[in-house]
Amino acid sequence: MDSWIAIIRLDLALFLRDRKALVLLYLVPVLMAAFFGQLTGGTGGKAERSAIGLVLVDLDGSAASRGVVAAFTNDSTFAVVVTNEAAARARVTAGRVPVGLIFPPGFSTNLLQGIFQSDRRPVVTLLFDPSHETERSLLEGMLVPKIVSGVAEGLLNVDVGRDLIARGRTNILRAERLPEIQRRLLLDSLAQADAFLESRRMSVVQTNAAAGPAELPLPYRVDDQPLTRVAGARYNGFAHSFAGMSLQFVLMVMIDLAVGLLTERQSGTFRRLRAAPLSRATLLLGKATSYAIIALSTFVVSFAVAISAFGVRIHGSWFGFVAVILALCYFSATLALALAAIGRTPKATRGLAIPVVLILLMLGGAWIPSFIFPSWVRTVSLWMPTGWGIEALDAMTWRGLDVSAVFLPVAGLVAVGTLLGGIAWRRFRWDGEAGS
Amino acid sequence: MNTDRSAPVVLAARNLVRRFGDRTAVDGVSFEVRAGESVGLLGPNGAGKTTTFSMITGLLRPDSGELLLGGAALVSDTDPIKRRLGLVPQDLALYEELDARRNLGFFAAIQGVGQSRIPEAVRSALEFVGLSDRADDRVGTFSGGMKRRLNLAAALLHDPDILLLDEPTVGVDPQSRNAIFDNIAELRRRGKTLLYTTHYMEEVERLCDRVIIIDRGRIVVDDSLARLRHRAGTGAGAELRIELEEPASDTLSGTLRDIPGIGSVRIDGRSVQVRVGSLAAGSSEVLRRLAEAGIAVRSFSAEPPNLEAVFLELTGRSLRDS
Repeated sequence: MDSWIAIIRLDLALFLRDRKALVLLYLVPVLMAAFFGQLTGGTGGKAERSAIGLVLVDLDGSAASRGVVAAFTNDSTFAVVVTNEAAARARVTAGRVPVGLIFPPGFSTNLLQGIFQSDRRPVVTLLFDPSHETERSLLEGMLVPKIVSGVAEGLLNVDVGRDLIARGRTNILRAERLPEIQRRLLLDSLAQADAFLESRRMSVVQTNAAAGPAELPLPYRVDDQPLTRVAGARYNGFAHSFAGMSLQFVLMVMIDLAVGLLTERQSGTFRRLRAAPLSRATLLLGKATSYAIIALSTFVVSFAVAISAFGVRIHGSWFGFVAVILALCYFSATLALALAAIGRTPKATRGLAIPVVLILLMLGGAWIPSFIFPSWVRTVSLWMPTGWGIEALDAMTWRGLDVSAVFLPVAGLVAVGTLLGGIAWRRFRWDGEAGS
Repeated sequence: MNTDRSAPVVLAARNLVRRFGDRTAVDGVSFEVRAGESVGLLGPNGAGKTTTFSMITGLLRPDSGELLLGGAALVSDTDPIKRRLGLVPQDLALYEELDARRNLGFFAAIQGVGQSRIPEAVRSALEFVGLSDRADDRVGTFSGGMKRRLNLAAALLHDPDILLLDEPTVGVDPQSRNAIFDNIAELRRRGKTLLYTTHYMEEVERLCDRVIIIDRGRIVVDDSLARLRHRAGTGAGAELRIELEEPASDTLSGTLRDIPGIGSVRIDGRSVQVRVGSLAAGSSEVLRRLAEAGIAVRSFSAEPPNLEAVFLELTGRSLRDS
C-alpha cells in the first residue's frame, strides 16, 4: 500500500513540476473549448449547416401525408426514419436524431380546409434537439416546398381534390341541423375551392412549384418542440465543447505519460524499482491511478470554468456526470498503459499513440459533432469509447437525461478500460533493453 | 575488509546464462560473495557485468542457472529478500525535477521503509553522502558528482546488507570521486557486503579485497587482490619508458631483444618502451646494455606492476576496449 501511494504521489509531484504541461492541460482546453463552442453555436446561436437525420411520424396515413413523407425520403439531404410518435420523441430527446416531424391525424383534410379557415389548419409538430437549432430552422424552411411538392400531387390532383370536395359537399348536405344560409355559404366555398384547385393545378404544371404557395398563407401551423428531459434545461454549446476539449487534452497528456513511462524504464530509476520488492501489478496500478488523477484534475478544472464562466449546468444526474468523468479517467489511464505496453519504446509509442488518439477524438466527436460525418464514418464512430463518453456528458449536462442514460456508456468505458488494462498487464515488461 | 572464508555466503551465482537473440551476454558465470566481502567485478564494456548485475537485482531473468540471496532463490518480484540488496545503478536513478529529500522519500517507500521511519532514513542517508544542506534543492541543479552521491544515498535508505554498485563513479570529477570512495570505504568498515563493477582498475585496487574478471560473458579469474597483485609483480612484468639524448640507432632494437626476459621493444625516435618480465632484474639489465652501447639516457621510468597488466595478459585486450 505504501508503495502504491508512493508511486501516485511521485507521479503527481513530477506532473506538477512541469509548469508548461499544466498550462497545456488546464488553459489550452478552456481556450479551445471557448473557440469551438462559439463555432458550434455558443449558447444557442446559429451553427453551420450539416447533414440532417430526420424522424417522421405519419399519423394521418393519407395519400397527401404519404406524399410529404416521400418528398423528404427522396431528398438526399435527409436521412429519414419513419417511426411512431413515442420512438420519435425518444430518439430526438436522446440526441440520436436532431429533428423530427409529426403529421397529425386529418392532416390532409385540414390542410385543404386550412387554406380557407385559419382555425382549421393542421398543426405539424416539429421535434428538435436544442443543440441542433440550425437543422430545426432548415427543416422548418423546407417544410413548405416539401408539403407543396408532396401534397400537391395528391391535393391538387383534380380527381383527388374533387373527390375531397365531393365528400365535403355530401357531408354538408347531410348535416340536417346546419342553418340554410351557412350551408349555402359552405357549398359556395367548396365550389370556389373546386375552381381554385383546377386553376392551381394548371399553375403548378406551368410554374415552379416552390413559387406558388408563397402567395398564400401557409395552410398549416408548426409547433416547435425542443426536446430535453428536464423542463427549463437549455442547450449550451459550451457543454459539448468543454467535454470534447477536456478529453482531447487528457488523451494528449496520456501520450506523454505513456512515453514517459518507457523513458523511465530505460533509465536507472526503473532498475532501482526493479531491485525493490515491488510487483509489476503495483507499479502498473500506481501508474494508472496517478494518470487517472491527472485526467480527473483536467475535467474538474475545465468543467469548473465551464460552469462558472460559460453557463454550463448539470441538468441531468450529478451522480451520472461524476460516473462518466471517472469512467473516462479510467479509460484514459489504461489507454496510456496499453499504448506504452504495445509501443514498447518511446518513439514507437509516440508514433502509435498520436494516430490512435486523433482517431478516437475525431470519430468520437470531440472536435465536431459526429452527426455531420458521412454515414459510414458515423457507423464507425458509434464504436468509439470517446464518443460514448462525450455523448454521456452531453446527456448529463444540457440534455438533462436521468442517470440511466449513462449506464451503457459508463459500462462500455469501464469494459474497454479493463480490456486495455489487461493488454498492458500482459504485454508490459520490466526489461526493455539488452544488457552489457 | 573481510576475507574470512568462514563468513556465510550471502550471494551465490551458479552457472548463470543469459542470451539476447544470438548473442550470449553471460555464459556460465558462477561465483560466491561472503558477508562483509568487497568484491570487484571487472571487465571491459560489453563483458557481461551489467547483465550479471541485472540478473542479481531481478531486472533480468537468467535463461538458465541459479541465483541465491542468503541461500534462498528469489521467488517473486515482491520477495522480501530483495530488501537485503541496495542497488546503485550505473545510470543516475533519480528524478531530476524533484528535490533530493523527495527523491529519497520515494525510494524509501518503494523499499518498504515505514512511513514513520522515512524522514530519519532520508536524513541519515543525506548526511552520509554530505548532501544535508542540499536536501530541498532540485536534483536537476546538482553537479554530476552530487548526483552520483545522491544516487549512492538512495541505495542505503533501507539499510541493506549487500550493496551492488554498478560503476558508481562514471563521469564524476576527481574530488567527487574521492568523496564516493570515502563513502564506500566507510560502508566497508560498517561491514556491508559490496559487489562493485567498474572498468577502472585503480578503483578495484583501492576498494576491493577480491576481484572477479569477466570477459565475453565468462569469468576468467576470481581471486583475492593480494594474490593478483603478486601475480602482476612476478608474472606480468613491467613497462620501462626510456627517453634518449639522441635518436636511437637501428641496432638498438636487436641489442635489447637479446636480453633474456624481454617481452617487447618499441622505438620511436628518442622514445623507447621495453616490456620486461621482472621490474628489478629487467630494468638494471636494460640500463647496463644501453651504457655498454654508449647510449646516453635523458630520463627513465617504470610503470609499476598493476592489475591492468593481469587483465591484458588474461584477456588479450585493455579494460577500456569497447
